[in-house]
Amino acid sequence: MARSSTVTSRSKVLVRRETRSAYLFLLPNMIFFVGFVVIPMILCIYTSFFDSTMGNDTKDVFIGFGNYVELWKDQIFLRALKNTFVIVLVSVPVVCVFSLWVSSAIYRLRGSILSTFRCIFYLPVVTGSVAVTVVWKWMFNNYYGIFNYVGKGVGLIDKNINWLGDEKFALWCIILILFTTSIGQPIVLYVSALGNVDTSLVEASEVDGANSFQQFWKIKWPLIMPTTLYILVITTINSFQCFALIQLLTSGGPNHSTDTVMYYIYYTAFKLYRYGYGNAMGVILAIFIALLSAVQFKLAKEK
Amino acid sequence: MNSGIKKTSIYKIISMVILVILAILFAFPLYWIVTGAFKTMASINATTPDWFPKEWVLDNFNKLFSRQTAPLWELGIPFSSKFSADGKPIIFTAGPVVPAAIRWLVNTVFMAVMAMILTCITSAMAGYALAKKRFKGQNLLFTLIVCAMALPKQVILIPLLREMSSLSLYNTVWAVIFPTVGWPFGVFLMKQFSEGVPGEMLEAARIDGAGEARTFVEIVVPMIKPGIGALAIFTFINSWNDYFMQLIMLNSTSKLTISLGIAKLQAENSTDFGLIMAGASLAAIPIITIFIMFQKYFTQGIAMGAVKG
Amino acid sequence: MKKKRMLALGLSIIMALSLTACGGGDNAEKQPAQETQETQKTQEAEPEAAPEADTAGDTAEAEGETEAAEGTDLSAAITLWTYPIGNWGDSATVESLVASFNQKYPNITVTVEYLDYTNGDDQVNTAIEGGQAPDLVMEGPERLVANWGARGLMVDLSDLFASEAGGEIYESVNSACKSSDGKYYEYPLCMVAHCMAINQNMFEAADAMQYLDAENHTWTTENFLKAVQAVYDSGQENVGAIYCSGQGGDQGTRAIINNLYSSTFTNAEHTAYTADTAENIKALETLYAQDGINFDASINGGEEITLFRNGTLAMSFCWNAAQQINSDNAAAGTTNNGDTILPMLFPSDDGKTELCGGIWGFGVFDNGDQTKIDAAKTFIDFICNDPDQVNESVKASTYFPVRPTLTGIYDGTETADTMNTFSTYFMPSMGDYYQVVPGWAEARTEWWNMLQRIGTGGDVATEVATFVENANAAAGAGQ
Repeated sequence: MARSSTVTSRSKVLVRRETRSAYLFLLPNMIFFVGFVVIPMILCIYTSFFDSTMGNDTKDVFIGFGNYVELWKDQIFLRALKNTFVIVLVSVPVVCVFSLWVSSAIYRLRGSILSTFRCIFYLPVVTGSVAVTVVWKWMFNNYYGIFNYVGKGVGLIDKNINWLGDEKFALWCIILILFTTSIGQPIVLYVSALGNVDTSLVEASEVDGANSFQQFWKIKWPLIMPTTLYILVITTINSFQCFALIQLLTSGGPNHSTDTVMYYIYYTAFKLYRYGYGNAMGVILAIFIALLSAVQFKLAKEK
Repeated sequence: MNSGIKKTSIYKIISMVILVILAILFAFPLYWIVTGAFKTMASINATTPDWFPKEWVLDNFNKLFSRQTAPLWELGIPFSSKFSADGKPIIFTAGPVVPAAIRWLVNTVFMAVMAMILTCITSAMAGYALAKKRFKGQNLLFTLIVCAMALPKQVILIPLLREMSSLSLYNTVWAVIFPTVGWPFGVFLMKQFSEGVPGEMLEAARIDGAGEARTFVEIVVPMIKPGIGALAIFTFINSWNDYFMQLIMLNSTSKLTISLGIAKLQAENSTDFGLIMAGASLAAIPIITIFIMFQKYFTQGIAMGAVKG
Repeated sequence: MKKKRMLALGLSIIMALSLTACGGGDNAEKQPAQETQETQKTQEAEPEAAPEADTAGDTAEAEGETEAAEGTDLSAAITLWTYPIGNWGDSATVESLVASFNQKYPNITVTVEYLDYTNGDDQVNTAIEGGQAPDLVMEGPERLVANWGARGLMVDLSDLFASEAGGEIYESVNSACKSSDGKYYEYPLCMVAHCMAINQNMFEAADAMQYLDAENHTWTTENFLKAVQAVYDSGQENVGAIYCSGQGGDQGTRAIINNLYSSTFTNAEHTAYTADTAENIKALETLYAQDGINFDASINGGEEITLFRNGTLAMSFCWNAAQQINSDNAAAGTTNNGDTILPMLFPSDDGKTELCGGIWGFGVFDNGDQTKIDAAKTFIDFICNDPDQVNESVKASTYFPVRPTLTGIYDGTETADTMNTFSTYFMPSMGDYYQVVPGWAEARTEWWNMLQRIGTGGDVATEVATFVENANAAAGAGQ
C-alpha cells in the first residue's frame, strides 16, 4: 500500500514505462489465457442463449434464457449438480484429513522406509488415471471382480454386488478411486511441511508437559497452515476435473447416479447434440466454481 | 507415564498396520497391471484370480505391437500454413516406423514436456508482473485468474472445440497444449512466489542500469526457481493425465496419447484384458521409472510449491 | 542462458502475432487450408515412412505407379473411418482391401481409422465439430441416414444406386438407406440378422434343451422362460443379462423385449416411437421378475458377450453370424472352456420372430471438396460393386451380401456350414428395419437410460412412457 502513495510522486514517464513492461511480461501468458480460456468462456455464455445443434443446414435460434429455465427443471442436471458437489465436498476434506494422518504417521520414519511409503502413495498419481481406471473397472466387476471374490471369500458379502451397476454404490466407487489418485501429492506436501517444523519448538512444548495432541494442535497445525490451504486448492481443482473416471467406468450411469455436470455437458453435447444447452450448464458450473474459488481465496488471504 | 508410553506404542503399531494395508491397496492396481501384462489368456480369464503369473509370456506385448504402425515422430508447426511459402503447414517426420503404441508414448512425452516448458516460461513472466508491477486492470486480472483457476475444461468444451477447428489446430497436439498453458493456476502460483522477491533488489538492479528483461532473468528467476520446479512437475503430471482434452481434440491413431490409446484399446477389446494391461503398463512403467529415479527432486519440487502457495 | 530466454520470449511473441492473424481470418479461407494440410501430411509422410495404417497399401501403390496407372487419374487423399463390422475393424484385413483398391486406383490414398461402438460416435461427432469429419465412414443407416444424413452432413449417393449393381439391392435394404426426403446417404455392402445364443452344455446340464427346437433354432416365450428358470435352478445364478451401461449392442435388448409378446418399437411409417405398448411393458415386467435375468447397468453388449464366452452367463442377447464364427479365444462356436454355443432366434409368443437387422455400408461426409467426394465414391464403387472385389469385401465383414445375385460367397471356406445355417434359419426372420426413425441417436440413449431406471426398481409403465415421450420429442425436433 505504501507504493500507491509513491506512484503519484513518480514521473509519468516512469509509470508508463512500468505499465508497458508489465503488459509485455503478461503478454505471452495472456495470449493463451485469453485465447483459450477467456474467449471460449465468452463464446460459451453467448451460445448458451441459443438453441444450437450439430448440422450443416441448422441455424442457431435465439431463445433468451430458455436453456437456463429448462436447466432448473431438468432432474438429471440437478442430480449431476448434486453429485458434483458431493464428490468435491466429500473428497476434499477426506483427502486433506487422511493425507495429514498418513503424513504424521510416516514423517519421522527412517529415510528409506519413508520414501517407500511416500512412493507407494504417489504411485496412482503417476500411473495415470486411465491406466488406474482400467484396473479398477476390473476389480469392481460384478461377475469376476476382485472385490466380490475377496468379499465373498472372507464372508463380508454373501451375494455378488454390482458395484458400478448399482445406484447405491457407484458414486462411492468413483469417489474411492478419485481418492486414491489424489492423495499422493498432499502426502508429499505434508511430509515435507511436517519435516520442516522446528523441532526445538516441539521439544520445548514437551518440556512444558504438552501431550501429543496439544503439540499438534498448538504448534504444528498453525505452521503447516499454508500447506493445508495449498492442498485445499489443488484437491478442489482435482476433484472438479474428475472426468476420465466417470467416462470410462460408468458413463454417468446407472440412472445418472454418477453423472457430474462435467460429464453431463459432454453427454449433452455429443449424445444429445444440444450445444446451447450444454453451454448453459457450463455457465452455471463456472459461476459456482468461481464463487467457491473466491471464497477459498478470501479465507486464504485472511490467514 | 508408563501407561502413556504403552498407549503411544500400541497406537503406533496399529497405525503402522493400517498403513501397510493401505500401502498394499495402493500398490495393488499397479501390481495387477504389470503382472496382468505378462499373464497368459487363460490365467487372466480364470474365474479364481491368479495372484501371481504362473508363467510369464510376452504374447500381450506382441499383440500390442503388431497392431497399427506410425512413424516415430511427427510434428506440425502450429499456424505454419500462414507463413510457409506454399500455404501448407510445415510438418516434420522423423524416425523409423514403429508400433502405434510407441508413438503414443512419444506423443504424450512431447505434449507434457512442451506444455511444461511453455507454462513455466509464460507463468513465471506473468506472475512476476502481477506481483511486482502496478498497471491498469491489475485487480480485475487477478480476480479473473483466481476465479478461472478451478474451472473444469468441460465447461468450455464446445466453444474451444470450434475455436481449435477454425484455427486449424484440431487433431494436433497443440490443441491440447495451448489450453493447458492458458490455465491460470501457474500464474497464480508464480505470483505467490514472486512476492517473496525483495523490492530493494529489483530497485538496485534498476539503478545499476539493468533492463527489465535482464532483471527478470538474472534476479527474479533464480529466486523463484523452486516455484518453477514445483510448477513444472505439477504441469507435467497434469498434462500427462489430462485425458479429457486429449479425448476431445485428438482423433487419428497416430496423434493419440497413451491415455487415449489405452482407453481405445479397452473400448475395442473389452475381451482382451491382457492386451489392455500391456498398454497400461507401457503407459505406467516409463513415468514410474522416472519418478523413482528422481523421487528426491520430485518430492522436493512438489513440496516447494506449498511453502509459498 | 539469457539468449535462450530472449529467444523464448521472441518465439512467444511470434506465436501471438500469428494467433491473432488467424483469429481474424474468416472461416471460408480456412476450410481448404485445413484439407491441404491433411493431404500434404499423408503425401509427405510416405517417402520416408508408411502412413499410419497402410504398409501393405504402400508397396501396392508403388507397383501401380510403375505400371502407369490403369484405373483413373483421380488423385486424392481420403480418410475412411470404420466401425468394427466383422473384420472391417481389423487393420490387417482392411489394409489388404485398401491395397487391392490401390492396385486399380494408385493415386487415391486411403487413411483408415478404426472406431469402436463405445466411443466411436463421440469421436465422429467431435471430428465433425472440429471440422475434420472423415471423408468416408462405414456404418449402418441408423447413423448414416437417421443421424448424420438427417443433419445435412452427408452426400447424396443416388448415383451409385443408379448403377447396375445398385439396382439389384434388396428393396428393404434400399429403403433403409434412403432418407425421408428421398436421398440416399448410405451405400450398403452387407447385412445380418442379430439373434441370441445359448450355452448348450449349461442347458443340457439343466435339462432345459427340451424347451427349444434346436434344429430350427426356435422357441416360444413360455418355453424360454421355463428354460431360464431351469438353468437358474440348476445352480447357474446368472443366466442372461439385460445389459444397459450404454448403447453398445442395444439391438439385442430391443429384440428380446419386442419379440417376447410380439410388439413393435416404432410405427410402420418410421415416424414415431411406439414402444409403450402393453405387450412391451409386460415383457419388461416379466424379464425383471424372472430369476436369472439381471438388468445390469455395468456392462454393454460387447461385455455381455465376454461374459457369455467365459461361462459367466448362459445366454447372450447380442449374437450374430460373426460372433458364431469368431475364433479369437476358442474354436469357433464354442465358449472359452469348450462348451457348445447354439445360436437361437429370439423367443416369440406368436411363433413369428422378427429379428433386428444390421445393414452396413458406406456414407460420404460432405467436406466441401468435390475431388474427395469423387474419390470416396470411387472407393465405394470398387469395394461394393466391382465383381472381382465385392465377394472379398463382404467376406471381410463376415455377414451377408445385400444383393441376390451374390451367392455362395462363403462356399469352400471353413465357415461355410455356419454361414449356411444363418442364411437358412435366421436371415428369413429379419424384421422391419426401423432404426431410421428421426432422432434415433437420442432415442437409443433414452432406451438404455430407461433400462437402467427399470433395473433400479422404476415402475415399468412410467419409465416406458417417459422413454416414448423423450424419444418422440427428439423425433419431432429432428424432422
